[in-house]
Amino acid sequence: MSAVIPQKIPRIQQAISVLWPSFIVAIIATGIFFSAFNPRDLVPYNLDVDISPVAAYSIGFFIFWIIALVSSYGTLYFTISNCRYLNKQYK
Amino acid sequence: MRAQQADSGDSALYASHQKIYPREVSGRFTRLRVTAILTLLGIYYLTPFLQWGGRQAILFDLPARKFHLFGLTLWPQDFIYLAALLILAGLSLFFFTALLGRVWCGYACPQTVWTEAYLWMERKIEGKRSARMKLDKAPTSAEKIRIKILKHTVWITFSLWTGFTFVGYFTPIDQLAGKLFSASLGPWETFWILFYSFATYGNAGFMREQVCKYMCPYARFQSAMFDSDTLIVAYHPERGEPRGSRRRGTDFEAQGLGACIDCNVCVQVCPTGIDIRDGLQYECIACSACIDACDEIMDKMSYPRGLIKYTTENAAEGKPQHILRPRVMVYATILLVLCGILVTHLVQRIPLELDVIRDRNTLYRETRDGLIENVYTLKLLNMDEKPHRYILHAEGIDGLKLVTDQEEIFVEAGTVYQMVVRLQADEFNLEQRSVPVSFHLQAADANHLTITEEARFVGPGKT
Repeated sequence: MSAVIPQKIPRIQQAISVLWPSFIVAIIATGIFFSAFNPRDLVPYNLDVDISPVAAYSIGFFIFWIIALVSSYGTLYFTISNCRYLNKQYK
Repeated sequence: MRAQQADSGDSALYASHQKIYPREVSGRFTRLRVTAILTLLGIYYLTPFLQWGGRQAILFDLPARKFHLFGLTLWPQDFIYLAALLILAGLSLFFFTALLGRVWCGYACPQTVWTEAYLWMERKIEGKRSARMKLDKAPTSAEKIRIKILKHTVWITFSLWTGFTFVGYFTPIDQLAGKLFSASLGPWETFWILFYSFATYGNAGFMREQVCKYMCPYARFQSAMFDSDTLIVAYHPERGEPRGSRRRGTDFEAQGLGACIDCNVCVQVCPTGIDIRDGLQYECIACSACIDACDEIMDKMSYPRGLIKYTTENAAEGKPQHILRPRVMVYATILLVLCGILVTHLVQRIPLELDVIRDRNTLYRETRDGLIENVYTLKLLNMDEKPHRYILHAEGIDGLKLVTDQEEIFVEAGTVYQMVVRLQADEFNLEQRSVPVSFHLQAADANHLTITEEARFVGPGKT
């Protein structure tokens, strides 16, 4: 039965498992999104926003990273809470 | 049983990570690896300075939304080519893994390349393995602080240069250097230089083999490409065991010993801190440091080389070896076919695009002559390196008239030209309310530059 009980995941590994996959996903998402949309076309006509393209791409990247981060964190959260529950059961 | 032990040992190691001090090594594979590393570092740091036709040869020009790869300029519409290139890179990795094992990990992966570079700097400043271990154990002293500050200064300087070069792939590097020296770097350029520098410093200075062990997706699935004919680094237990120390020149076979003198040098040189004598492990990046180390020991002992060597599972077991086998053939075929498709498409790619947008405000209007008229906005993208003159035609309805104020349309190289045109048709020739028409664009100075775009012509319809 020992294989069923997940081991406690070290904190550093938790951080990496959230930050790293979301980082890769954010790069892919930024690439796809901005090849379809020019940031210049995304600014509404009635707004006078003057940001450089590099700033727009960078901000876009961070927005994607945050979204993916939330998802990765959700996965980790459910894995951990499940694992704690299991550990209690077997103690 | 062995696997379970290795597993529990692994997680213990990860929970409280033990720093690995790879011992310096020399030999034929080390020379090969150093050559590969220097070549790749050279390519990375020098590529942004290459010029091609008056601009940077490789430049991912984000503000202009164009990727320059030598003579080829890719627009966002060409995203598919970049995707195809990435797929090809992935497939090549599969192919080479099936054939040569983790040759990518040991010789070409940026993680390995920069880790080796940082290790080299560490070695130059802190000394050999034993000196480094001693220094880390020693209590804080002025000398220790001096050495550590020196090492981190050198590392950080190298990291900053790496980050600067990275941003130089996106912003022309001569402009970037100019901005740097006049202290007028933009906030995002500064940010990305620092971000990439920090990542390099962290990955090559501290994370090192942990990136391979815990972060690399390839390390986890590479074994799926392996078979019994894949090249691996392996210890020869039949020859080596039972291991044990002995005096030089004594008859070890009479003492009941194998060829392994249990000197542990193969473990000390390993950048991922494993013992190759435990068999093939997923931590092994096939860097072949242990081969060189063991060969040196074998030479000293006057034993034949190759106790640890590049081999295949079949070769080690004395079974027949196959280089061309179904797995390799399948990867090679897919790779070649995709390469062919990509090259064909790139050669046939027409650097011209036409977007037609029908005026949405009015469906149609009647001219003074009693003709039905539709208005269109055209966007002409000249994706070529040269300016061109284009001639526009429209067809699809009998007697269709194209009304425009230009005979020839001039579009500068790499720009978008927007214009409004009108189409006029006689109501009698309109079969339905909405009739398909096509715009045909032809370069006046180059026959192959031609494109056709479909649109719709709306009229009152037959009553």
